[in-house]
Amino acid sequence: MTQYLQDPALWALIAGTPLAATTIIRGRKARANLRQEKAELEKRAADLENNYAEAVQEAHNRAEEATKSALKSAMRTLQGLANEQQLAISKTQDKYGEHLLLQDLLEIDHMNSQFGRRAQSIAVLCDGWLGRQRAVASVYDVVRSAKGRIRHYTRVEIRSQSNFALVSRAVEPVALALAELLDNATSYSAPDSPIDITIRTVPKGVCVIIDDAGVGMNEEEKNRADKLLSATHATGVTGLGNPPQFGFAVIGVLAARYGFTVSVDSASPYGGVRAVVLLPEDLLTNMPEPEEQPTTQAPAAAEQPEPSGSTMTSSTVGGSTAGGLPKRRRKGAISIVPRADANAAARTSEETASIMGAFQRGTQSGRSAATPNREGHDPQ
Amino acid sequence: MTAPGEQEPESAQLVRPYVITNGRGLPENDQFNLITLVTASEERPPSHLDPEKRGLLELCSGGYLSVAEIAGHMGLPIGIVKVLLSDLSSDGYLVTRAPAPPAQLVDVSLLQEVLDGLQARFG
Repeated sequence: MTQYLQDPALWALIAGTPLAATTIIRGRKARANLRQEKAELEKRAADLENNYAEAVQEAHNRAEEATKSALKSAMRTLQGLANEQQLAISKTQDKYGEHLLLQDLLEIDHMNSQFGRRAQSIAVLCDGWLGRQRAVASVYDVVRSAKGRIRHYTRVEIRSQSNFALVSRAVEPVALALAELLDNATSYSAPDSPIDITIRTVPKGVCVIIDDAGVGMNEEEKNRADKLLSATHATGVTGLGNPPQFGFAVIGVLAARYGFTVSVDSASPYGGVRAVVLLPEDLLTNMPEPEEQPTTQAPAAAEQPEPSGSTMTSSTVGGSTAGGLPKRRRKGAISIVPRADANAAARTSEETASIMGAFQRGTQSGRSAATPNREGHDPQ
Repeated sequence: MTAPGEQEPESAQLVRPYVITNGRGLPENDQFNLITLVTASEERPPSHLDPEKRGLLELCSGGYLSVAEIAGHMGLPIGIVKVLLSDLSSDGYLVTRAPAPPAQLVDVSLLQEVLDGLQARFG
């Protein structure tokens, strides 16, 4: 036994065993840790993989929101300025209406309208401010307003009118959507080819049909347009492509929000694109009646009999203009004839006839004697 | 999209003046000035006339109006009204008349003769 006790190997074994045990245990622990870490990493990788699409979408949404809100407030300022400028231009146009300057003012007005429309379009894509609240306006006026917002507006010909009007909340969006369609139509057709607009009443409402004589769209473009115009698919600011194409995206948003439909899938008889905007009945109303103000008419003046012998007749309607200003009535032509209300009652018809006869004989003898046009008063 | 408080208090015309004239320049000839008198002719206008032209004819149907008055009633710049007027008058829907010239001084002896003549007949 003692020999064993003296054997250093025994001591080494005694000392070595726990050491080895510890080492083995440590190794096991480390391996377990590693395995656990590996499992965790794998899990995370799987999670990341699973959430990748979600995360990207979230980042995309966040970027979209940030872009939108930045653009929205920027456009709000620009739109306000464009409106202000338009009012200023209107005032100057009235002020210098007779001046040659008017021609230039009209051009500036046109440019300002285009500028305002661009800002509006971007604002629409950013869920921003659409613009001024409008009064009820006829479909024809809305189409003309749209026409005025594009560069080559003189090429646009409106072939027909309509008795329908748009309700006030739909005026601006429809005008903007039509302007974008017209912009496309003029941009993708020859510079001198006409764009025809027809307004047609259909059972479901009113159709505005825009025909261009351009090159048309290929299948891919048609699909893109359909996708943008359908209410289910909303492209944000980030999905407009490079260079950005606003037109159909803006129209799609407006159509979805205000409940009209736009289709561009048919060909125009001129070979280009035919765009059809269907305005449903709930956006339509009757033409606003001009405000009548019967009380402002002087009934005495209306009933006053014309002096006999007067060849000119009074107009039957006095009334007032749409602006509330009184319309001028045709006055009795010959002021020398006694006023009917002054002493007509005192005279018999024979007396009146003899007076008038005498007057006529007098003027005739005067005319035959005098040189013609003494006072240069001949009408043109 | 538009909050009620967000609307602008004032808004410009929906149809801009350059659209009404379809971008045409102002008429070269001086057929119309501020005091040219205009009235609707007997000819019946077609039904597809622009609303502005129809309104203008309606306005003039009551008798002679000056160009300045028409512009005031319609709320359009005078140059634009002139374009409309020249269209309508060349199509024959309007009749124009030169403004009444200021009265010329007439010889007193002529007036005396007229008075004498009148007195001789009716006096």
